[in-house]
Parts: sequence; structure tokens; C-alpha cells
Amino acid sequence: MWIKRLGRALAHVPEFTFRRQFSGRIVNGGSCIEVLPDSGSSTLTFPGVWLRDNCRCSTCFHDSSQSRRLDWDKFDTNIQALALHTDESKQQLQITWSDKHKSNYDLKWLKQRSFNASNRRSYLDDFYRPRTRHWAGEEFQQIAAKYNYEQVMQEDAVLQQWLQSLAVYGVALLRGAPLDEGVVRRLAERVGFIRRTTYGEEFIVQAKPGAQNFAYLSEPLPLHTDLPYYEYKPSVNILHCVVQTESKGGSNLLVDAFHIADRLRSEYPEDFERLQRIQVDWNDIGSEDGREFHNIWRAPVICVDAEGQYTRINHSVPQRDSHFTVPIEQVQPWYESYARFVRLARSDAHAFKTQPGDVLTFNNIRLLHGRTGYDDTEQNSRYIVGAYLDWDIIYSRLRVLKKKKAEQITK
Amino acid sequence: MFQLQQQQHGPEEEHHFEQDSLPLILVPDESNQLGLPMQFPDIWLRDNCLCSECYLHQTRSRLPQLWQHLDTKRIRVYHLNIDQKQEILYIEWNDGHRSEYPFCWLRERDFSLANRSHYLQNFYRPEPRHWSGTEFALIQKEFLYQDLISNNDELQQWLYQLAVYGMALIKEAPLEFDVVRHLCNRVGFMRRTTYGEEFSVRAQPGASNYAYLAAPLPLHTDMPYFEYKPGVTLLHTLEQSDSPGGWNLLTDAYHVADILKQQYPEQFRILTETLVDWADIGNDNQLEFHNIWRSPVINVDADGRYVRINHSIPQRDSHFNVHPEQVRPWYEAMALFVRLAHEQAYEFKTKPGDVLTFNNLRLVHGRTGYADTEQNVRHIVGGFLDWDIVYSRWRILQRSQTADK
Repeated sequence: MWIKRLGRALAHVPEFTFRRQFSGRIVNGGSCIEVLPDSGSSTLTFPGVWLRDNCRCSTCFHDSSQSRRLDWDKFDTNIQALALHTDESKQQLQITWSDKHKSNYDLKWLKQRSFNASNRRSYLDDFYRPRTRHWAGEEFQQIAAKYNYEQVMQEDAVLQQWLQSLAVYGVALLRGAPLDEGVVRRLAERVGFIRRTTYGEEFIVQAKPGAQNFAYLSEPLPLHTDLPYYEYKPSVNILHCVVQTESKGGSNLLVDAFHIADRLRSEYPEDFERLQRIQVDWNDIGSEDGREFHNIWRAPVICVDAEGQYTRINHSVPQRDSHFTVPIEQVQPWYESYARFVRLARSDAHAFKTQPGDVLTFNNIRLLHGRTGYDDTEQNSRYIVGAYLDWDIIYSRLRVLKKKKAEQITK
Repeated sequence: MFQLQQQQHGPEEEHHFEQDSLPLILVPDESNQLGLPMQFPDIWLRDNCLCSECYLHQTRSRLPQLWQHLDTKRIRVYHLNIDQKQEILYIEWNDGHRSEYPFCWLRERDFSLANRSHYLQNFYRPEPRHWSGTEFALIQKEFLYQDLISNNDELQQWLYQLAVYGMALIKEAPLEFDVVRHLCNRVGFMRRTTYGEEFSVRAQPGASNYAYLAAPLPLHTDMPYFEYKPGVTLLHTLEQSDSPGGWNLLTDAYHVADILKQQYPEQFRILTETLVDWADIGNDNQLEFHNIWRSPVINVDADGRYVRINHSIPQRDSHFNVHPEQVRPWYEAMALFVRLAHEQAYEFKTKPGDVLTFNNLRLVHGRTGYADTEQNVRHIVGGFLDWDIVYSRWRILQRSQTADK
């Protein structure tokens, strides 16, 4: 039918002013709408019920809060499109519905929400959350991007690149930061705001004999993720090196545990299966600023979603609870698989030492990090200031930056 | 506690293990009511050795040495000795390491099903109990603000009520702006969101969030567009509207999910599997945001337990990234969910000084429309707590209560 309409529309246009034409038609007895944006593109199909639900008029949509206000108590899921009209000059589609309501949709708005597989894929990968790329330890130098701290603070384009690197590779290094203790807060506030935990907002990693947390000792800190004992585990670690030890140790170790999971999945499927199924108790018991806590979260080492994508890695030798609440016959096999995970991770770890003014940022949901032991002296004591950011806040910022950039380009 | 036992003890039990040791260690425990021995895998015992080489008491955590070169297949018990009188299990391992475990520590970690279930339900997270709208009067519980601030038992009961039933009403709070903050600090600390820490719900024409309008607010959960959705909502009524509107609506959406699961399994499946885009676009305090989170309406874990409900008509994105054939069946299932949630809603109106608290991962809440006058403006102050923080606090209280007994 739209071909006919197109033909009619074309008939009115003199050949020398040939313009893009768009057309639409009602199909499936009113339950679907097909739109042909212009003669060169393929058809977009929209379910009628979705179009009615997303009517843009002021009765159905509240513009200042950018949200739907349609009365769902009266919503008819059997709604049918009765008539359709395309307005070439406004580039709008108008539909009259079986509930007598009339809706107008901008063609551009429709195209952005096309249900075509390729459009959905690119929306999810380019805008929702960038697709991750996993890396082996030996690839570290190629994938670890470095940015200048001042540029991140001043230029939106650099801010965007940093956040994109973090999302895709899970790690990025900022250089040239001043040596004051406010750096992590300023950086976090450039993105959004600091994620607070039981340990406060900023934290200081410095050898403290008698510390309540294992990280606050100068011992070697084996590979781990921070705070696996939280259901809402902090997403991104920001570690600002203020003073680095002159002693031999104090190097950072980093591993992409999604890569380790890939290896287990392909080379040791039985171990992979156990590590993504068996729930482990992670915990932290102690007190901070006079406030006692007893945190526990039960989750597998490798967490996957319904589509088999990794959503989170949990690993920490000190923060794994002595309570292990699984059927007894699962224990020995789990230990064997976990020991394999630990071995693979250790042999894949990349070591490097940050310098004063470096800010190491990495995805705590995905990467394991550790530190080699070191010796403080009175003149030289290693001093790191840290804070966390959550992915909800980072992705939101990244989307806002991408939208602004796209707007600038169209202008 | 175990010192009070007066039974006669048998001779010390000694066992030698040569090459093929049993992976399971059984420890007879006379205090066990069913006469069952405690059971532990050998490797777990080795991993949890409590000596100062393996365990750091000051941080209450495992030391990493063992895991530097752990060969799970080589670990064997060489010699085992159970001192029933002192209630201590002694193990000598085939690498020469020696461990000892007091029974009181072992009992709490026994791998029997009964002990594991007890630990999970009485310490990890209490089992939720779902309720229908008509049961609301039976499950609802009121607490006095002053009691919660000054009495730890009351505090514990409030958090338990929240964990099990998902809602509790606090009465007689002062009419001050910082009540929600005081309550949150009593538990732990407030959860910050893109809207800040405390938020004021008051009719604001031209608001950037739908909740800040006087129009009826249909049933919803707060902030479904966050992966880390705030766990508990606290709403303190400072001023209530004299108009006939402004009623609170509350539904236990886990109960709605139960109904769907039993009576409409196909719709239940659709609502647990179809990923929906939840979104919030706007700005608050100069922070521009574009929040999106994709997840189903009913979220279940690998064991089939409900972990989260997402529902909000205004915060559901117009982007819907699913195969077009999934669209109509989802709409039909969703319309059923909305209808059932309405039927199960309990309606009540908070008074100034009331603080309504509920599990935002589980309950859907709403408000009927109201009309403010110049003399009378509905004003609610809200805040959030996260479940990580709430459960931690509850466990501390639970632990000290058990210790008192």
C-alpha cells in the first residue's frame, strides 16, 4: 500500500526537485504499523500497542519530566490503528486509534526507536552500555589508555574518552594530577558523586599496624576485588598515588577476570560451571568510626546474567567467609575449581608501579587487583587516596556527553 | 556455653589417616539434639585454620599464604584428635601444619542442612513473607520514633519487620526536616542518588520528576532505572493535604508475582524474561543525567526467588529493545500485572509525624491526586537506605541480642 502512496506522492513532485519521501501503512488488522522512511531505506515495523503507549501528546506524555503520564488503568492492549497519515513537510506520522485518540510521531524519533535488530544492537552497544573487550595480561600496554588529569577535568571530549576506556577495557590511567588529597573527590564530582561505603567516602591506603582491614597493612595484597560482601558492590576504584614507596615493592597487579572467565569457559568448562553456580559467602566484620558492621553477600565467583554475559566477579581470600552455606558434597569440587581460577589469574597478572600524581582507575566489578609487599621508612611512607564511583552514575554521564557531542555535530 | 554441659565424656577419639583419607570429617557432638555428628570437608577445615599463620584475628580474616601455592588434591589429614571434654578438634595435616577448632566455632559452621538453613534465615537474611491487600492489617506494624532512636530492641524489630514484610509505619516523629536523616544514621547512612540525599515531595509545577506533581501517582517502585536501585524508601509526612486526596497506596508485588506464577504462568514467564528499558532523563542540582537500566519487571535469582520488582509507568523508556514479536505479549502480561497490583493495593493516609518505610525492591507504592491550597500544602521528606547497610545493622543487633541471652 505504501508503494501506491509513494507513487501518488511522487506524482506531485516534479522530477527535478526529487525529495526523500516517507510513507506508512497499517498492517495485521491494525495491530502493526509499517513505516518507509524514504525510498532508499528498509521498512520499519512498529507494534501498534507500543506506539499508543508512547504517544507524545501532552495528555499522554509529560514533557518537563520527560515521562509517560498515560492512564494505564484504562489502557487497552488490544488498541488498533484505524487511520494513518504521513506529513512530508513536518516529517511526521499521524495515527488515529480505536479509542479515538490521535497521536503524532516525528520520523526521526521513530527511527531512533526502530525494532530492527541492527538498530537495537547499536543503541545498546553505542549508547546503553559499551560492549566490553576482554584482554590478557600481556596485552596490557596496548589496551591501557593514559589521559592527562587536567585535560579530563577541563575537556568534555577527554572526559568521555576516559569513561569509554573504563567501560570497554575496565582500566585507564590518569597522569599529572596534583598531590593534594582532594583529587579523587574532584575527579568523582566531575563524573557525578562518590559512592559511600561502610568505610566512608574517601579512604586512605597506608600501612597501619593493627588495622581492621587487610588492605591497610604493608603485606603483599593478593589479587582480589573490593567489597565482594556487598550486594551493591562499588563499581569503579579510583586510586590516587600521593606518595609511592622507594622500597622494592608496592607494585600494582591487575587482571581482567572476564578474560580468566573466558579461558575457564573454553578450556575448563566444568570449573567454569561450578564457579558460576555455587554461591559463596563473602563477608566483612569489624567497625569503622565506632560503628560496627557485619556485611555478608552470597554470590558465585563468576556471576552471569540470563544471556550468559558476565555481570560481576567476586574474589578475595581475606573476605571469603568461613561460613560456607552449600551442600557438603559441593565443597571439594568448588575448591578445586576456585584454585584453578586463582592460579590462572595469578599467572596472567600484569605488574606496574604508579608514580606520585598517577590516578589508577579500574572496574571493580570485573578486574582483580593486588599489590606486592613493601617497606615504609620514616622518610618515605606509601600513601594512596581512594574512592569509588558507581556504574549507574558513570554510564549516565557518558550518555549525556555522547548526546551533547551528537547535538554539536548536527549543528 | 558448652562448659555448662554435665554429661560424661568418653575417651578421646583418635584417628590416623594414611594415604586415602576420607574427605569428610565427622565430629560427634553430644549437644546435638538428634545425636548427629557435625560434618566438615577436610579442605574447608584446612582453608579455615584459625592459627596466627593462617588467620589474622585483628582483621577477622583469612591470611593469603595458603592460597599462594594451594594444591587442593594434596591436602590430607594425617592425624585427627577430638577432645570431647575440652570440645576441641585437633588436626595434624600431611604437610606438618597443625590446626585446632573449638566446638563452639564448628557448631556455627556445621554443614548439616538444618544448620545451614538456620544460619541463612536467622542471620544472613530473614525469609520474606508475602501478603495480600486484605492481610495488610495483620502484617502491618507501628513503631514510635523515640523508641527507635533510643532502644536497640525496637530498632532490631523495625528492621526485621522491613525485611520480612517489606513495610513498617513509624509514628510520632517530630515535624522537622532532619527526621529521615536521623533514622538513616541510626541504621547506617543514607543512600545518595542523582536527586541528592533527602528529597522533598511537594507539588512543583514544571517539576523535572513526575513525583513532584500533584497529579495521582500510579503504583510504582522508585528508581527502577538504576542497577543499584535504592533498597528502602523512607517517607516522612511533615504536612498532609486537607483535600480528600493524597492517600498512600501500597501493594506487595511479590504477592502479585505469586498470583501470576500460580494462575498465569505464561504471563509470569514473560514478565520474568523480557528485558524492559527503564529510564530517567533530566537534571537536578546542575547534574544532568540520562539513567537507563534494562531488566525485567519480575527479577528472580537462580533458585527462583524474587530479588526485585521494577514498575513505573513514567520511568519506562520509549526505547524498548526487544524483538518486535515480544512486544504485544509483554504489554498484555504487564496490563495484567498492573490490574492485579491495583486489586491488591491497601489504601491509607499518613498523618504529620508519620514515617512510612518500605522495601523499594519489593513493594509498589502510589498516591491518589490531591489539591493543595495556599494554607495547606502537602509536604513529604524522603530518603533511602540500602539493604547491604540495613542487614549489616540488623545482624549486629541480632548478634548482641544472642550474646545477651
